[in-house]
Amino acid sequence: MSLKQRLLVLVLGVIGFVWLATAAFTYWDAKYELNQVLDAHLAQASTLLVAQNTNELDDIEDKHAPLLHKYSRHVAFQIWEDGNKLLFHSANAPNTPLASVQAGFSDTTIEGQRWRVFTTEAKGDDDDRLTIHVAELTEVREQLANGIIANLLKPLWFTLPILALLLWWAVAASLKPLAKLTQAVAQRQPDNLSAIQLQAPAEVMPLVERLNHLFSKTKALIENERRFTADAAHELRTPLAGIQAQVQVAQAAQSTQTREHALNQALQGCQRASHLIAQLLTLARLESTAASRNLRQLAKQQISDLAPSAWEQGVQLELAEGEEITIQGLATLLEILLRNLLDNAIRYSGTGAEVVVTTGYASSQPFLSVCDNGRGLAAEELAKITERFYRPVDTIASGSGLGLSIVQNIVELHGGSLQITQGKHQQGLAIFIYFPNLS
Amino acid sequence: MRILVVEDDAVLGDALQTGLTQAGYAVDWVRDGAQAQHALSSEPYEATVLDLGLPRCSGLEVLKQLRQRRQQLPVLILTARDTVQDRIQGLDAGADDYLIKPFDMAELAARLRALLRRAHGYTQPLLQVADIELDPAARQVSYQGQIIDLSGREFTVLHTLMLAAGRVLSRTQLEESLYAWGQEVESNTVEVHVHHLRRKLYPELIQTVRGVGYLLPRAKAP
Repeated sequence: MSLKQRLLVLVLGVIGFVWLATAAFTYWDAKYELNQVLDAHLAQASTLLVAQNTNELDDIEDKHAPLLHKYSRHVAFQIWEDGNKLLFHSANAPNTPLASVQAGFSDTTIEGQRWRVFTTEAKGDDDDRLTIHVAELTEVREQLANGIIANLLKPLWFTLPILALLLWWAVAASLKPLAKLTQAVAQRQPDNLSAIQLQAPAEVMPLVERLNHLFSKTKALIENERRFTADAAHELRTPLAGIQAQVQVAQAAQSTQTREHALNQALQGCQRASHLIAQLLTLARLESTAASRNLRQLAKQQISDLAPSAWEQGVQLELAEGEEITIQGLATLLEILLRNLLDNAIRYSGTGAEVVVTTGYASSQPFLSVCDNGRGLAAEELAKITERFYRPVDTIASGSGLGLSIVQNIVELHGGSLQITQGKHQQGLAIFIYFPNLS
Repeated sequence: MRILVVEDDAVLGDALQTGLTQAGYAVDWVRDGAQAQHALSSEPYEATVLDLGLPRCSGLEVLKQLRQRRQQLPVLILTARDTVQDRIQGLDAGADDYLIKPFDMAELAARLRALLRRAHGYTQPLLQVADIELDPAARQVSYQGQIIDLSGREFTVLHTLMLAAGRVLSRTQLEESLYAWGQEVESNTVEVHVHHLRRKLYPELIQTVRGVGYLLPRAKAP
């Protein structure tokens, strides 16, 4: 249902409801007032009859009173003598007593007709007891009330369609800024990520602002991607240059030793290039649905995957005692994060080092730490270590310099923070990652 | 011909060192900007091959400081950055040439030769003093049209002296042009090479300036 239709239906519904409620109230109120007034009339009429009866009743020859007015058909009266002799009655009155009570108001149904009756007693000329019933058909009262309600409801029939038309126009006019916005978005080219310049009402402005925010975010993201791709492509040139130069050195080599060395170096260059490419590919193959992940389980998996190669390089991996932590994240990314951290620790800490992974809570904030007691880094280098393509001075191990930059990105993506410090006793590296608290 | 290679990549740096040594240069290799600055301010290099993306201090910074110290040695930038903007930035910072990775070792050697030649004021690819002709590219020397067979070190000593023809070079200067770091300098090497050169070419070619060094006169003594 469109916003227009919704507004229209709702507004018309509300108007109709209020109108009907007013009509219902008026109906009940009118009926009550009518009953009061007509009851009073009945009482008054009976008083007149009593007065008349005591004086002039004997003068009336005809036992049946004539019909005087179109409404008089609905009003009837009876005068009974001693409760059993119908002394006088109106033309439309039945022959049985209109009420069984001695005095006051009552309702009765005779021959399918419902009557409202007022009964009173009087003394006749011969001191006989007269009972006077003045009655009115209840139907009349209902007709009157219905007439009032009909007059009230009748305008609704033709005002509602007119109202609907006017409302349609008004709603369409007020929704124009939305239509404009729709048009502005629809006409956009996919590569146009500039902000939407639109004067919009206060309710639409937040939407425009959110859209513009999204545009600028996407723009920054694409920019970042472009820069990264360019960086990566450039950075692939260095290992390639190394390989080419080594092969040419090998070609020109005079001694077997020089040639062997150059070819070995060329192979290392190839490994470095493939490592870089592998990392770039993992970045390109990211999934995008976040779910609750048990980081300790993921860490266990990664450690058991990497332990054999770590052992070959004389590095011991360990998962220390700690609580299980669950964070909202992307499994592949978290695996890459763990793999990069462990990979770095194995590569750079050196033979004989121990790498300890811990998970747990630090003041109710889930954290993961990877600490080693290896060579570590100088304080001045710690600050630069997450720079893209940065590799520490005198690094013997091959690497792309991308690992920690990727780790940093993944941590940021999960809303966490990365902290790299020197390890205990100024030995090795201590990497702590704090994740946002799920609860 | 002593050259400084500044490159942080292990494989490429190793290749540059070996390759340029093959081409007859004495090559020192450093792996970051700070070490490069230190080396450049303390050692007499004929030229430097400089990578731009360096740890600790960028190549451009090294270059700027080098030129601020008014050191004239030719600088060849090796880089992965290939945009025009990058190249302009490098050349404006004082680089003499610009080579984009990956590159051909032969081309790098040729460009270095050209840089060294121009740095000594020669425009011709062949160096010529009197009857002697030296071809740096082919590493060949001819005397009166006859090709003379010289060892690598002898060639380098002659090349250095010919580039500085008419000026006196000290024994240390000649030694430094022959050896990179970590290479053991044999005593009397320069004397031995000079002796061989005089024998293979002609005795008056190289004059000894006692207590100072050696001189290769621009023209043959009458």
